[in-house]
Amino acid sequence: MSRPAPTPVYTLRGAGGPLNTLHFSCNGGDTPLLYSGSGKGSIHIWNLNTRRAERIVEGHSGNSIIWVSTLQTTDTLISQGRDMQVCLWDLSEGRSEVADSVWTGSVGFCQCSVLETSPGNHLLAFPGQQTEEIKIIELPSKTLVCTLVPDTKMGMVMCVKLWQPDSGPGPLLVAGYEDGSLLLWDVTQRSILSQTKAHPEPVMCLTFDPERLRGISGSSEKNLASWTLDRQNNLQLQDNVTLVNPGVSQLCIRGDGKLLASAGWDHRVRVFGWKRLKPLAVLQYHTDMVQSVAFSDHQDPRERLLAAGSKDQRISLWSIYNEGADTG
Amino acid sequence: METHTEPNIEVRLAVAQSFRTLNTATDNKDIIAALQTLSSYLNEGPESKTTSPQRAEFRRAHFTRSLQFLVSNIQADWVHGLTAAQRTELWDGLFLKGPPEQTLLVLMDGIGELSASAALDHLVSITEKFLQSHRLADLLWSYSQQTAPSDSPQLRETLLGRIVSLPDLTANKLRLNNKPLFLPQQYYPLLATEMLTTLERTCKALKGGTDCSLTFVAQTLGKVCIQGHSGLFLAVLAPRLSVCSRSDMVWQRVCWKLFENVPQRWVESVLTGLVQAVSGPAALGRIIGNLVLTNKKAQFVITHKLLLLQYKYETRILRIILGYLAADKDRRPLLIQVLRSVSQAWANPSAVKHTSLEQQLYVSKALLLSVSLLNKSELQELHSDLLQCMLGGMQSHLDSSVVRIRHVGMVVGECLSSRLDIGGAALKFEYDQDEETQELLSLMTPVTDDEPEAELVNVIDSPQEKTETTPHAEKETQKTDPDSDLDSDDELTPYDMSADQELNKASPPRYLRDCLESLMSSDDPVRVELSLRAVEGLVRKNAFAAREISVQLTKVLLHMEDKYSISSFLNLRQAAMVALAVTDTVPVTQYLTAEFYSLNYSLRQRLDILEVLSLAAQELSKPNKETRERCSLISNSASTDLTPYPGDNPVHWRQEVEKRIQSKTRRLSKGVTKPPAKATPNRYAPVAGHFFFPLLRNYDKPQMTFDLLGSDHLVLGRLIHTLGLFMHLAVNAPVAALMGRALLDFVWAVRYHVDQMVRRGVLFAVCSVFLSVNSQNLLVDLSDQLFETRTWLADVAERDTDADCRSLAVQSLVLMDQSLKKQLQDPQALRMES
Repeated sequence: MSRPAPTPVYTLRGAGGPLNTLHFSCNGGDTPLLYSGSGKGSIHIWNLNTRRAERIVEGHSGNSIIWVSTLQTTDTLISQGRDMQVCLWDLSEGRSEVADSVWTGSVGFCQCSVLETSPGNHLLAFPGQQTEEIKIIELPSKTLVCTLVPDTKMGMVMCVKLWQPDSGPGPLLVAGYEDGSLLLWDVTQRSILSQTKAHPEPVMCLTFDPERLRGISGSSEKNLASWTLDRQNNLQLQDNVTLVNPGVSQLCIRGDGKLLASAGWDHRVRVFGWKRLKPLAVLQYHTDMVQSVAFSDHQDPRERLLAAGSKDQRISLWSIYNEGADTG
Repeated sequence: METHTEPNIEVRLAVAQSFRTLNTATDNKDIIAALQTLSSYLNEGPESKTTSPQRAEFRRAHFTRSLQFLVSNIQADWVHGLTAAQRTELWDGLFLKGPPEQTLLVLMDGIGELSASAALDHLVSITEKFLQSHRLADLLWSYSQQTAPSDSPQLRETLLGRIVSLPDLTANKLRLNNKPLFLPQQYYPLLATEMLTTLERTCKALKGGTDCSLTFVAQTLGKVCIQGHSGLFLAVLAPRLSVCSRSDMVWQRVCWKLFENVPQRWVESVLTGLVQAVSGPAALGRIIGNLVLTNKKAQFVITHKLLLLQYKYETRILRIILGYLAADKDRRPLLIQVLRSVSQAWANPSAVKHTSLEQQLYVSKALLLSVSLLNKSELQELHSDLLQCMLGGMQSHLDSSVVRIRHVGMVVGECLSSRLDIGGAALKFEYDQDEETQELLSLMTPVTDDEPEAELVNVIDSPQEKTETTPHAEKETQKTDPDSDLDSDDELTPYDMSADQELNKASPPRYLRDCLESLMSSDDPVRVELSLRAVEGLVRKNAFAAREISVQLTKVLLHMEDKYSISSFLNLRQAAMVALAVTDTVPVTQYLTAEFYSLNYSLRQRLDILEVLSLAAQELSKPNKETRERCSLISNSASTDLTPYPGDNPVHWRQEVEKRIQSKTRRLSKGVTKPPAKATPNRYAPVAGHFFFPLLRNYDKPQMTFDLLGSDHLVLGRLIHTLGLFMHLAVNAPVAALMGRALLDFVWAVRYHVDQMVRRGVLFAVCSVFLSVNSQNLLVDLSDQLFETRTWLADVAERDTDADCRSLAVQSLVLMDQSLKKQLQDPQALRMES
């Protein structure tokens, strides 16, 4: 007899708009925080102890926020909005002012990807003005590292993920395109290492596990496609996971590489074991599309949370598979 | 003449002299001499002091007397004067050497007469020695020889009785001090080995050219079996006979003769014991030969009684009997005769109705087995009979309201049709594969049993082997157990994901009237499904809106068909109707009960009406209504907390009854009591009549499409169940007594209905009357019916063919007696009565 379906530990309400993106920051300071970006242009900073919004940062002139993150070492908030700006925020000492901003020129929904190269230095990948263009800049200097444009027509860039492999010299980037292709870019060489067609529909989201050299991508259809990188940096498609309802907005792997969560258009969050993609749970709470999932980065694994942000303006927090085999 | 009489007189004188000496002498030497004289008549051999005629005369006329004398003097002083060695040699020796039949009789008489004493112990130990020294084999052998002691039939009868019932005699006498050797578990196997020894001697004698008679041995065998010890006895005898008769023709002849000689009145018990003890049809054939052809009684038992009248045996026995009939070409006509009678019995519609299910199963097995044994030409010969049987029998089986009987009909029909090969078209039914159907199907494949009888000789060795092998097997299984479970995914146990269903595009209707609209007129499957799923929740959420259109909505739901094969359609529709009946009870029940008897409904719809009514009544009578409602509101899919669709299985009411009986049983250790539930008014009690009485109207008015007392038993059965349930739920309601009376009146007419489902319903209804009507009302209002009900229940409990009916009848009897006793013991009630 399987256990009954789990219920959320608590929910956060009052974002005042559909939630596009979530980001945990529970590792640094005393209070665990959750950043959320809403469709109304506000960034909420939730205190997970009081379960209230500690601060609300308005930016991007009311345009929808599609991505938020923090730069770990510098304590800076970084956000991307539909107003074609990526803003860096200085939030220290109660301030909330834009320290710097980058104009992207992209009208799409592609979220940025950030990679820390050395303490204080970051690489930021974001979609460029042309539909197929990806730009990579260095932060905080904002110098352009490279521009990646594929030779063939692939449609708009839908999602990117930047990481530093253990073996190779430079960072790699995997990007999903509108025609369902995945491209693996070598950032330093500015060349395509590998290419594969993972989906018949646009790639909506992807995530990559640099330890296992394995990634997974979702689309607007019912399948999740998982793929690996071999030693020659070739993308190889592996097994597919079929979902009950089509459409995935985001995929997220837990820090310990055990769980994968998917944010479904069918209002549900699905949890899989990451190693074999065995379905483990279906989290039902939301009454509209789930647009974002995130696993928290608590140091104590028992406190880890899964957050899901939905178009129904709520964030649900779940505590599952935190202690091992028996308890969840 | 003189030469004959002389030794006789001599012997008589000598014996008399010895007796006298023993009686009077005080000197030990004289006594020993006298005993030696007596035993000298038993000693054979060259050094013997007596002549052979003298010995024969002593054995014939004086041995019994001598033993009786010894037994009667067992307490005398001179016996105690003997040393232990002398006593064993002279005294005991007399018992162990002489003719065994006489010894046995004297010993048993002695044991019977003596009361508990050292003397009795002595006799018992002699009897033990007598048995241990295989004197029984000598006894049987002496009666098998041509020179058998000529004696009266009465004596033989007594001897037979003593041999066979030795365990009973000793147990009666010795009670707790009985010796293990005399226990049936040891004695009858011993007797069987002695009989085998005798048979072996007989075989040797026959080979040596001497004639033997097996009459006495056969009588012993028969008597043992008729006294009910055939299991123990034949368990030893039959395997050995089967092994011996395998290669040896003489043995085979001896076996046949043995069973031929069993007296008529004991043949049946011998044969029933034997078929259970032998390992296979071939063994049976070797042991009894063509006994069925020569012996009328045996034929009756084998071909009729074991197959058609009794049904307690396992399938193995059926296989043995039918295999035995099929094994020999002389016996094959009997197989065909058996098949004819079995197929008639199977196809008989009255048998389907009036015999118990177990028996029908047994007959079906016999039918299938015998059909599987037929060869081509015989099949051709029996083709028309079998076809007739198949068609008629299947019809009556499929008509039955019992699922298992229908399954039996289907399986047998399939098997027969495939065997008959009717133009290449075999029947094929859909039924659940369970153990029973599997077993029936497996009967069509003949078992090739290589009898493992050669190994039977060294049975003792096999357990050791087994103990050696089992640990190995265990180890191996353990090795395979820890499979490669190092995977990280596998330690994460999945949650229940059954709620992960496909999402509907359209949004569900939010108003009850929209639902009604789309259920009535929409052709869009999605809308219909959404409305159907939403109805229950909407009805429960908004009772006022529901009351406005309750009857109309009920009507629509009742007539709705599953046009779009919506998953769990029946559950959803039922839940919606139940919600309506609970919300707006009086009008909806009025409508439903009126529709139950009206024209143009299918049986399914009528059953639906009953189910909805009973579920609604159950829900109304439940006190914890709030929690239930909250649950159903929270879960979006209302179907999850519904009871599974009841369909044909009457389990839920049985559970109810069990629960009631549980609650009536008083438990002494109760543990921590729960906080008392919050009292809420019973919502069912005031409306119970609306559920109950309208259904009692009109039941006897047959219509074109619906004849409750005629062919529609199924509905009648369900109707009575439902009424019983209403009755049961109305406990403590003021109207209960009235309902009970009406219900008893109603079921009286159908109490001996042919369909067991109806009878079960009736008994359930009676049970619930006794549970719900309080005992005072029972005695005052229903007193005139109680006596008749009691006798009827007692009759059912004893004689009904259905096991459930019997147990229900017993239950109602107990309930009735309990409540009557309670009432009669209550002085206040008695006063009221007087």
